Amino acid sequence: MLASAQSATLLGVEGRPVRVEVHVSRGLPSFTVVGLPDTTCREARDRVRAALLSTDLAWPMCRVTVNLAPPGLRKVGAGLDLAIAAALLAASEQVPAGALLARAFVGELGLDGSVRAVPGVLPLIDALAAPEVVVPEGCTVEAQLVGRHVVRPVATLGAMVGALQGLHPWPDAPEPVPPPPPPPGPDMADVRGQPVARYALEVAAAGGHHLLLVGPPGSGKTMLARRLAGLLPELSPADALEVTCIHSAAGLTLPPGGLIRRPPFRAPHHGASAVSLVGGGSHSLQPGEISLAHHGVLFLDELGEFEPAVLDNLRQPLEEGVIRVARAMAKVTFPARVLLVGAMNPCPCGEGTVPGGCRCTPSARARYARRLSGPLLDRFDLRVEVGRPDVAELLSEVPGEPTAAVAARVAAVRALASERGVAGNAQLPAWRLDGVAALDRPATRLVERTLRTGRLTGRGLGRVRRVARTIADLGGHDGALAVEHVSAALVLRAEPTFLDGRAA
Amino acid sequence: MSSPPPTGAGTVPTADDGPPPEAFAAAMAGLRRMGPARLTALLAAVPPEEAWRRLCAGAAWSDVGVVQALGRAGGELIAAWQAAARDVDVAGLWRRTLDLGVGVTRRGSPGYPVVLAADVEPPAVLFHQGDPGLLDAPRVAIVGTRRCSATGRGVAFELGRDLAAAGVSIVSGLAAGIDGAAHRGALAAGGSPPVGVVGCGHDVVYPAHQHELWRSVAEVGLLLSEAPPGARPERWRFPARNRIIAALADVVVVVESHARGGSLHTVDEADRRGRDVFAVPGSVRNPAAAGTNALLAEGRAPACSADDVLVALDLGTGRRRRSADARAEPDPADREVLEQVGWEAATLDQLIVRTGRDLGGLAPALDRLCDAGWVRRAGGWYERVADQGMIL
Repeated sequence: MLASAQSATLLGVEGRPVRVEVHVSRGLPSFTVVGLPDTTCREARDRVRAALLSTDLAWPMCRVTVNLAPPGLRKVGAGLDLAIAAALLAASEQVPAGALLARAFVGELGLDGSVRAVPGVLPLIDALAAPEVVVPEGCTVEAQLVGRHVVRPVATLGAMVGALQGLHPWPDAPEPVPPPPPPPGPDMADVRGQPVARYALEVAAAGGHHLLLVGPPGSGKTMLARRLAGLLPELSPADALEVTCIHSAAGLTLPPGGLIRRPPFRAPHHGASAVSLVGGGSHSLQPGEISLAHHGVLFLDELGEFEPAVLDNLRQPLEEGVIRVARAMAKVTFPARVLLVGAMNPCPCGEGTVPGGCRCTPSARARYARRLSGPLLDRFDLRVEVGRPDVAELLSEVPGEPTAAVAARVAAVRALASERGVAGNAQLPAWRLDGVAALDRPATRLVERTLRTGRLTGRGLGRVRRVARTIADLGGHDGALAVEHVSAALVLRAEPTFLDGRAA
Repeated sequence: MSSPPPTGAGTVPTADDGPPPEAFAAAMAGLRRMGPARLTALLAAVPPEEAWRRLCAGAAWSDVGVVQALGRAGGELIAAWQAAARDVDVAGLWRRTLDLGVGVTRRGSPGYPVVLAADVEPPAVLFHQGDPGLLDAPRVAIVGTRRCSATGRGVAFELGRDLAAAGVSIVSGLAAGIDGAAHRGALAAGGSPPVGVVGCGHDVVYPAHQHELWRSVAEVGLLLSEAPPGARPERWRFPARNRIIAALADVVVVVESHARGGSLHTVDEADRRGRDVFAVPGSVRNPAAAGTNALLAEGRAPACSADDVLVALDLGTGRRRRSADARAEPDPADREVLEQVGWEAATLDQLIVRTGRDLGGLAPALDRLCDAGWVRRAGGWYERVADQGMIL
C-alpha cells in the first residue's frame, strides 16, 4: 500500500514543501528513510514506532520505505515526524487515505505519543499549499500568523488519529487573546547630558545611518545604544512577518501573540565567530546575528575587540541588505538590513578623549586603529565621540527628553523617506541625491573647501549628503540643503581621535 | 650635509696608526650597562686603548674608583663586557662614526665643551653633530611630557620661537610632544640655532616619526649624545640624557609634566647644579599639567611668556618684535562662540551646553572659526588658538 502526506522543511529561514511517501509491502520487517534526511530526521523511525505503540496503534510488520520528496533537498530536524506517522497509518490502512488529502502535517513526536513544537513553524506553514494544517498545540498562535490556513492544533498522536478517522471532531483552536502591550524598553529620559550623542542617535534612527560611538569606559555608550531600538518606528505588518519568520526559524522565543512588532535589538558578544554573525553552519544553515537584527539594530559593543576578519564579513551585507551564504549542500539568502551601531574606546587605555589623558604609546594607538579596516569604518555615516558627562549633569534632576517625543520626530522623517520610496534616507540611491539632497550655494562652497582640505573624500560626500538630508528633515526644512545641515553632518562624521594621524 | 668636519681633538687618523684613542672610548660607550659613572671610572683609571684591551681580556680591575663604580655585580659585568667586546669591530665603528659626520671628544681633551667640563657629572665621551660653538650662546632648556595637550604643544612652540628669536639657544631632548614642539619653534624663528641632546646613537632616530626635525636640528644646530652610532634608545639612557640637558642649560623651563614625569627628573638634575627652574602654569583640569603646577606650588617661578625667561637671563625683552594679529576678526555671533570655546579644551557636548545652540547652529560657526585660525580641532575637542604662527 502507498500513501503520502504533505509537510515542509527549513532551508535557512525559508520553508520548503516536502512530500512524505510511505510504501508498505510484504517482506522482512524493515523501515528505511530515503530522500536526504539528516540524522535527526532519520531517527524519526524510532520516535514514530514508539509513539504508535504508546497510542495503541499497530506497527506494520512489513517492509516500510519512507521517501522524502524532492530527494535532492536536505531535510533537517524532527518536524516531519507527524507527516511520516500520518502517511504510515494511511498506508497500513489504519486511517482513511482520503483524510490526508488537502491536509499538511508539521510536528515532532514524543515516545509517549505526544506532539511537540518544532522551531520555524511560521516559515514552514508559509510554504504549505494545503488549506488545512495540523500543528502541535504549542505552535497554534505562530501557525495562525500566516492566515491562509485552517489550523488544527493537536496535543497527542491519539487526538490526531481520532479526528482523521472521524471518531471525534478536531480539537478547537484556542481563541486568540489580544497580546499584552510589550514591556517598555529603556527610555531616553534616563540619559543625562550628552547632547551630541543624543542627537546622533536621533539622526541614526530617523535616517537609518550606521552609528559609531567612541568614548572612554563609563561614558554611556552602551546605555545610549540600547535606547536606539526604542526610537525606531513599529514594524510594518509585512516586515513584522519577515522578522518573525527569521526568529522562528532560528528557534528563538517569540513574544506573546506570536508576531514581533518592535524592531529587534541584537548585541552579540565580541567573541562571536564569523558564522554566528553572518549565518551558516555545517549541518543546518542558521541565520546569523545580522539576520536576527533584520529591520532592527545590530549593536557591536567593544568593536575594537572583535576579530578584524570577522568584522570584515559584515561589509557586503551592510551594503546590500542581504547576505548570501553558500555551502556544499545549499545556497541560501538571508535578509540582513540592519542599523549597525558600534561602540569602542578611543585607544587601548580608553582615556584618549581627554586632552593629555591618554597613556598609550603611539605604536599601541596605531595597532588599535588597524583593528578596524578603513572600508568598514567608512560604512559608519555617524562617528561621534562620547565624553563622560559632567558631574552636575549626572546628578541633575531634570530628565532628558523621553523616547516618545524623539520617536515622534523620527516617525515623521521616516514618513518623508517612504514618500521618496526608501525606508530611510541612508538608502537613497546615488543618482537621486542631486534631486533629493541638492546643496544651496553656500553649502556647495563649504563642501568644496572640505573636499580640498582632504577632510572628505568623494565617497564620503554622498554619505554626508544623506545625513544632511536627514538633519534637514528633522529640522522641518525641505528644499536644498543649507550650510548648517552640511556642517552638522560633517561634525557628526568626525574622524575618530585614534585616526587623527597625530603621533604625539 | 653642511655640518663642519669632525673636530674631535687628536682624531687625525692615518692609515697606519690604527684607530685613535677616541675610537676605543666610543666602543666602550656602546657596551650594554656601561653607564656614565662606570665609563668615567674606567677611563680615569687607564687610557682608552689599555681599558679596551683589558675589557677584551676580561681582566680584573684593582683601581678603587673602578671597583666602586662596578659595585657588587663587578665580576658578572666584566664577563658580560668581555663577551660583548669580542663582537665589536673598533675600526669599523670608528669609520662609521666619521662617515656620519659625528665628532667625538673625550673629557679633558681640547674640544670638550667648557660648560660640561665644569659639571658635577660630566660625560666621559661626547658625540656631536653640528657646531659645538653654539654652546657659547645663552641656553634655555625647554622640556616636558610626550603626552601633552595641544595647548602645551602650542606654548612650547611659542616659547621656543620667541626665545630663539631673542638669541637664546633652545636645549631639549628631541622627544615627541613638548620637546619636539620647542625645537620646531626655535627652527621656525630662524634665530639662534637649537641644541638637541638625545639618548641614542646619531643614526638611530628616536622617535622615528620626528626624523625630519632630527635632521634639521643636526644640520642647523647641534646634536649631542653620550652614545656612539648604533646605540639603541635603552631606558637608562634617558635619565642620563636629562642630566646633560640640565647641565647645558642656564635656565630650565618645564612646559607640561604629569604628576610623575621624566621632566621632573630633569628638574632634580637642574637643582643639583643650581640652575633656575621655571614652570608654565596649566589648567587644574589638565592631567598633563599636574607636575608643572606642583612645581609652582613648591615656589618655582612661573613662565607665562618668553619675557619671564629673558628677564632671568638678564637679556631684556626689547629684542623681540611682536607682530600684530593678522587673523580676520570674527563676526559678533561667532565671537560669542569663540568666547565660549575658551582656553581650555572643550568637547562639542560642552560647547552645546555653554552656547545653548543646537548642532546646526554651532557647527558652521566652529567651521568658520577653524578656517580663520581662531579655533583648532584636536582629537575630539576644540581649543582656542592663542596667536598666529603656530604650526602643527
